Amino acid sequence: MPLSPDFKSRVLASVREVPAPTRKETLQRQTWLIAAGLTGALALFLIKGGLRVTSRPPSLIALTSVGTAVFVGVGMWLLFTRGPPGLRRPRTVLIGATVLSAAGFVGWRYGISSLYGRAGAWPGRVGLRCLVLSVGTGGLMLFAALMSWRRSDPVTPRATGAAFGAGAGLGSALLVDLWCPVGYVPHLLLGHVLPIAILSLAGGLIGGRVLGIMRRR
Amino acid sequence: MLSKAEVVKQAGGMNADEAMSQYAQGDVAAFEIVYEVVAPRIEGYVRRKVRDNARVEDIVQQTFENMHKARGRFIPGSDVLNWAFAIARNLVIDTGKKSGRESSADMTEENETMGAVLAAAVAGGEELFFARETGALLVRSFGRLTKQQQEVFELVKLEGLSYQQAAATLGITVPSVRMYAHRAYLTLREALGVDPFPGPPPVAA
Repeated sequence: MPLSPDFKSRVLASVREVPAPTRKETLQRQTWLIAAGLTGALALFLIKGGLRVTSRPPSLIALTSVGTAVFVGVGMWLLFTRGPPGLRRPRTVLIGATVLSAAGFVGWRYGISSLYGRAGAWPGRVGLRCLVLSVGTGGLMLFAALMSWRRSDPVTPRATGAAFGAGAGLGSALLVDLWCPVGYVPHLLLGHVLPIAILSLAGGLIGGRVLGIMRRR
Repeated sequence: MLSKAEVVKQAGGMNADEAMSQYAQGDVAAFEIVYEVVAPRIEGYVRRKVRDNARVEDIVQQTFENMHKARGRFIPGSDVLNWAFAIARNLVIDTGKKSGRESSADMTEENETMGAVLAAAVAGGEELFFARETGALLVRSFGRLTKQQQEVFELVKLEGLSYQQAAATLGITVPSVRMYAHRAYLTLREALGVDPFPGPPPVAA
């Protein structure tokens, strides 16, 4: 039974009843919210002390930060943007991007720290402070990303939320990398990688509720 | 109410992707072109999964409402059909969950229409189109496919989407789509009694 002309009129009328932002309005709103989220994250980072050199040689800081920026940048690009058809990338790509980016920056940081003889354990620096700072800065970025996409993902709200969470976690790793001098692997896993998993999980849970489009009753 | 040809002609021959891009920028009239092109495809897809006519119409209407509400997220130059299929599929799944998963149950029943469509989609099946036994056999075989094989087969063989479009719609990779389609195709050909790997003719002794 093909769709009737009456049905077409009904659909077009129902669409006219509900206001929907245009692409320009959406992008403006998104720009403001993302900028606010990044500013908040940066402010929290600066309040906590910002870049901490400690006893690290500047070349070590530069090398670890540049490497981390590359891994994190590629991961964030894959997680925050959409593929050519305009839809979220396949789940395997999102998971792969998260795991490889996290493994990449941890491996890079450990490798460079080892070259400088600074990959040993730091007594008393388990990684909890890094965990808190990562979740704090990443949480602000995640909140901004979720608000900028609020009620506008009709296809995969949970996957989008989880991707945003992982992306925000990677973004926070870049900031915390400048703050934390420790290159010990268990510390990196607890303080720098675990927040990515926490934020991704939170993003998936919140995204499922916040990003989807409400059905009419 | 204008016909599809009249609507497209009035819009200067704009295709659905361009029309959706225009609509995302705020051109209200462009949505009618999107509807004319997309609605029949979505309706056919939904109707194969949901039997009740009222629910089919409800899902199609909701698909267009969601496209409207999310128009600000449509990337100019993207494939609107792909996007619409992904939205409709999501709604079908939601509806199925709420109403006791009608969709998958439908597929395993002896549905003559579905059998005929499947028979036509499988190479060599045209001449068997009217054979009820073949239709029923295919429906049973289709029911034995995994859920993803069924979805890929429907999108690629029945809806005519490309592997790339089907992959984007389902949120999986293109190689996965190829694999699922291939396996589904083999299973259905075997059900028809067609050797999926025909070898050389036997040599006479």
